[in-house]
Amino acid sequence: MGSDIFEVTVNALKLVTIFLVMVSLVPSLVWLERRGAAFIQDRLGPNRVGPLGLTQLAADAVKFIFKEEFVPAKAIKFMFYGAPVFALLPASLALCALPLGPIINIIPFEAFGQTWGPYIFSIQGYEASLGILFVLAASSLAVYPILMAGWGSGNKYSLFGALRGSSQIISYELAMGLAILGVILIFGTFNLNEMVTAQNGPLSFSAFDYSMTLSFLPNWGIFYQPIGAFLFLAAAFAESNRLPFDLPEGESELVAGFHTEYGGLKMNLFFIGEYGHMIVASALMVIFYFGGYLIPGVSPEQVTQFLSGFIDSQNMTAVLSGLIHLGAFSIKVFIFLWIFIHVRWSLPRFRYDQLMELGWKTMLPWALGNLILTAVIMAAIH
Amino acid sequence: MGGCVPLYAVIFITIFVTLFGALLLFAASKVGKVYKDKVKDETYECGIAVQDKVDTKISIKFYLTAILFIIFDIEIIFMYPWAATYKEFIASGNGLYSLGAMGIFMGVFIFGLWWEIKSKALEWE
Amino acid sequence: MTAEVFLFWFLAIVTVVSALGVLFMPNPIYSAFSLIMTMIGVSALFALLGAYFLAGVQVIVYAGAVLVLFVMVMMLFDLKSEIKAFTKGTLGGVFKIGSVAVLAGLILSAIMVTTQGVAIKFQGQADFGMQPTRLLGNKLFTQYVIIFEILGALLLVVAVGAVALSRSKGGTHARRID
Repeated sequence: MGSDIFEVTVNALKLVTIFLVMVSLVPSLVWLERRGAAFIQDRLGPNRVGPLGLTQLAADAVKFIFKEEFVPAKAIKFMFYGAPVFALLPASLALCALPLGPIINIIPFEAFGQTWGPYIFSIQGYEASLGILFVLAASSLAVYPILMAGWGSGNKYSLFGALRGSSQIISYELAMGLAILGVILIFGTFNLNEMVTAQNGPLSFSAFDYSMTLSFLPNWGIFYQPIGAFLFLAAAFAESNRLPFDLPEGESELVAGFHTEYGGLKMNLFFIGEYGHMIVASALMVIFYFGGYLIPGVSPEQVTQFLSGFIDSQNMTAVLSGLIHLGAFSIKVFIFLWIFIHVRWSLPRFRYDQLMELGWKTMLPWALGNLILTAVIMAAIH
Repeated sequence: MGGCVPLYAVIFITIFVTLFGALLLFAASKVGKVYKDKVKDETYECGIAVQDKVDTKISIKFYLTAILFIIFDIEIIFMYPWAATYKEFIASGNGLYSLGAMGIFMGVFIFGLWWEIKSKALEWE
Repeated sequence: MTAEVFLFWFLAIVTVVSALGVLFMPNPIYSAFSLIMTMIGVSALFALLGAYFLAGVQVIVYAGAVLVLFVMVMMLFDLKSEIKAFTKGTLGGVFKIGSVAVLAGLILSAIMVTTQGVAIKFQGQADFGMQPTRLLGNKLFTQYVIIFEILGALLLVVAVGAVALSRSKGGTHARRID
């Protein structure tokens, strides 16, 4: 993972940090969700434990850990325990492949009586050169933990929930794949870094040898793919089993879906997986349509130049600029996470036939139409 | 950076996450108290005796959804290299050719989708 | 031993062990999960060779789609009695060993034919990014465009066949629904 010990350590630490941040974001998101839900429904929500109920998270964690270990007699042990562990994998693999900030160039420096560097670090777990394909491949494996849990529990509600969940996920994967195709058409690459860099600068259209620049708008994907962005967002809701698409957990018919028999920390791992999918979906939304880590109106070079006015060390400037862009990315992601939470408390749940109908008969044709429209316009304006 | 760098990283994070989850579950199983009870170990069924076997027959629609998903997924995968090269084809003046080649393929795709909707294969009752 | 060689052996062992798991697992569902592992291992080997597009497709299509169907079908239908009849007894054993022998022979002969005079060399260091995928797209839409269109028609036929088979009314397996 690198040429010397420093590079290897940094790269490994990056991976571990991204995963641990994902895991530790979950309690905060749960708090946000519960408080947000309470305010939307005109109640107070958790407010007893600590200021604003903030230490509720710690209390929940302690409760989860001290829960009794329970396995139903009819469960298949390996599947039952394996499912929550594997539920963590798809989201964390996908998240590590996303570019969270610009590349940091480190010039050689002296430390521990030795010269280190130069290095090139990207704020990203690993740079898969065909980023989209990697993310799609990782998230296509998200069906298995659900199926494993449903089968391993030895409970018919779990099995029904798992079957519903997996059919739903695979149905919306098609619409999602087609929506992403529109993005690939626009940028002509699978690489997520190249996509983000392509969205730098002001919005400019060029058609029939005539070009127009709107300097007050950033060059974001949303202006090229408005329908695609909406379809992608809707499919992302279904992929992460969030309301209004949380049919696998439809309490009124299926108790709690595929995790009926789960409790305590095992249940919590499923939770982390689900929120991880939400985070990945929001991050992808930002990367495809909202300029990734780019700050609107300011290019990464300008940020570096601005910073070098205050700081002498070139390495410090590069790192600080990277962190600023990481902050911009996080703010954008949080806006989408809030949309996820807000929608949950605004929309009712679909019925199962409506859900499948929406996926196959509405979203699939719309996504196809969007793709054809994009292709035709691209050919026409040349 | 060499080609196998991401592969090492992917394997590393896979093993790390699996170990993290497994150790967490193992630790939690040691911490809480366990009271064994035959009735408690039964499969959940809202308070009454268990009604059905797990392996009851289930609607064939799930099977159909899965197989149609495979077919459409393969078709969509074939569009990926097309989408990646479309800009180049346009730049070299062969945009209409590429669009036409994909148009025929997409026509077949759309016909398939239309036929399935018309024949009520996607209907859930 | 260079990094690539180590990685190759690691992935090869994982792939082969999970492939053996497909054969020798007692429960067909475990076999299916072993097959998923095999597919992922093969895909990682493709990635090691620099064929990233193929690696991605391998996971998306095989592990993410085809095997979902396998696993779902095994969970859907009560296969236990059929499987017992198939795997138990001398006939099942003979069939198992026979099929393994035939497959092994096929694979061995394929390896011997294809590697004649070819020096196997690791290409793992190179990362050509999007270039191989673009090349693939170019070839697919110029040289092999006819085959590509025929493939579209073939997939349509498969879809029609699947729908026809699963119909409860008017199909070949017509039966009354009460």
